Amino acid sequence: MGKLDERVIIVTGGAQGIGRAFAMRFAAEGARVVIADVNGPASEKTAAEIGEAGGEALVAVTDVSDADSADAMARAAIEKWGRIDGLVNNAAYFQRPQVTVGPVEEITPEEWDSVMAVNVRGPFLCCRAVLPYMKERGYGKIVNISSGTFFSGRSTTQYVASKGAVIGMTRTLARETGDFGITVNSIAPGSTASDPERDQSRYEGRVPDRAIKRVERPEDLAGAGVFLMSSDSDFMTGQTMIVDGGAALN
Amino acid sequence: MGRLDDRVIIVTGGAAGIGRAFAGGFVREGAKVVLADINGEQAERSAAELRAEGGEAMALTVDVSDQAQTEMMASETIAGFGKVDGLVNNAAIAIRVKHTRAPLEEIPLDEFDRMLAVNLKGVFLCCRAVLPAMKERGYGKIVNISSGTFFNGRENLVHYVASKGGVIAFTRVLARETGDAGVRVNSIAPGLTASETEEHDIEEFAARVPNRAIKRIEMPEDLVGAGIFFMSAESDFISGQTLVVDGGVAVH
Ligand SMILES: NC(=O)c1ccc[n+]([C@@H]2O[C@H](COP(=O)([O-])OP(=O)(O)OC[C@H]3O[C@@H](n4cnc5c(N)ncnc54)[C@H](O)[C@@H]3O)[C@@H](O)[C@H]2O)c1
Ligand SMILES: NC(=O)c1ccc[n+]([C@@H]2O[C@H](COP(=O)([O-])OP(=O)(O)OC[C@H]3O[C@@H](n4cnc5c(N)ncnc54)[C@H](O)[C@@H]3O)[C@@H](O)[C@H]2O)c1
Repeated sequence: MGKLDERVIIVTGGAQGIGRAFAMRFAAEGARVVIADVNGPASEKTAAEIGEAGGEALVAVTDVSDADSADAMARAAIEKWGRIDGLVNNAAYFQRPQVTVGPVEEITPEEWDSVMAVNVRGPFLCCRAVLPYMKERGYGKIVNISSGTFFSGRSTTQYVASKGAVIGMTRTLARETGDFGITVNSIAPGSTASDPERDQSRYEGRVPDRAIKRVERPEDLAGAGVFLMSSDSDFMTGQTMIVDGGAALN
Repeated sequence: MGRLDDRVIIVTGGAAGIGRAFAGGFVREGAKVVLADINGEQAERSAAELRAEGGEAMALTVDVSDQAQTEMMASETIAGFGKVDGLVNNAAIAIRVKHTRAPLEEIPLDEFDRMLAVNLKGVFLCCRAVLPAMKERGYGKIVNISSGTFFNGRENLVHYVASKGGVIAFTRVLARETGDAGVRVNSIAPGLTASETEEHDIEEFAARVPNRAIKRIEMPEDLVGAGIFFMSAESDFISGQTLVVDGGVAVH
């Protein structure tokens, strides 16, 4: 018996990194998981791993910045399982080459637009796609992934602005959907070692700021994800939970 | 199999109200609980109920504002259950203990002092009492109960709201101080909760309902999931944070 038995949960950007950790853990807690990611082959790999571990997963290749694609994602979940209980808006551009780290004058307007398209328009479109189904059933759990950089300001403008927008969206949407039994919350991870290909020493930069002084792993976020997807958080909405080992304090 | 199997958790103010609900939830998840309350009789009745349900529970008569009594609380817990994994600082002058609700000039000075002594110094003393045992084992989970009133600045309650702001500040500092020792410190801020419905008519707790995203009266059970989360290993990389659980009045 798991914490999420029967629940159908869509994880955008669920193929790898933090999204993958959510998907694996949700499946282990009994959820049926939709991996909605632009990267088809990586999604299939994660879905296969979930299957091998005895869980259920569906791949819906999705570009969250595209309205038709987001709608198709929701329909795929409904066609397969008939309901959508949860959505984790996790897909985002957050590092090079999609996100240039630099002073604002060096960020091109084109890059600003593409970051906003994935990081802000993406969650907007995915919420838009799933909400009719959640409202119909009178229940739903949405989690938007923001970032600790919104609290520290230690990153690059286009990215941090997009992650602040996610918190704004969380708050408004919580108020809009409470009457329908839907909760909307946000998780703000700290710098997390989500890319095994990257120089691992890069993740150590933020360690001294933390109360708990070690590198953050994608699995460190899974517990908060399970809590916010489960009925344990049914009276909590509009909130942002920082999971960063105690660097930013909210 | 529960999420708190074998954890020993002290709930101050655990005799009744929100603290009693936490204790019930923790026991269902496999924890052994200590109900430390100034109302020893009620704590004993609640502990007996939990034991009757098959749980392990112990009652202690403790005034959290008294250093010697908080030290006794820690030593009796260790004597009875062998260790302390968790502490929920929930005891407060809140609903059951009467207090003045009036503008600042009308708050009696001794009442201001007592409010701070229980609601803030009580948190300090209880943490002080359990931290040596937690540090020795290299693990601990502390949750301090603040209040949604801190976020919305509820009027005519300046002594209470100040104490609850202090709790959040305290949470942040202690989180940084104890991270290296494996101790996590977080806070939960409930909204107006119907924790007492004999003297108070339940409708008195409806005042905040229109401001909520989820428009109903908050019940002690609504807080239990967050309490379990912070007492469990699920939240081991979270420290120094405050979770508002109020149906979406304050957004934090
Ligand atoms: N890793 C960190 O340090 C960190 C810190 C704070 C917040 N975050 C946030 O956590 C989330 C996950 O980060 P991560 O580190 O796992 O990132 P990642 O780059 O490892 O994974 C992101 C996933 O999203 C997918 N994706 C990208 N664009 C997409 C689109 N248009 N449509 C659908 N899928 C798309 C990618 O294919 C990838 O699988 C992001 O929202 C990120 O901003 C990460
Ligand atoms: N009920 C609400 O609307 C509400 C809202 C926000 C926050 N809170 C907070 O939640 C916590 C629990 O509140 P509640 O509504 O259950 O309150 P309550 O008054 O119903 O229960 C408080 C418990 O603490 C005990 N207590 C009081 N003084 C004590 C002392 N000096 N030492 C030991 N025990 C003592 C009481 O005997 C009682 O059992 C408090 O910290 C309160 O401030 C409550």
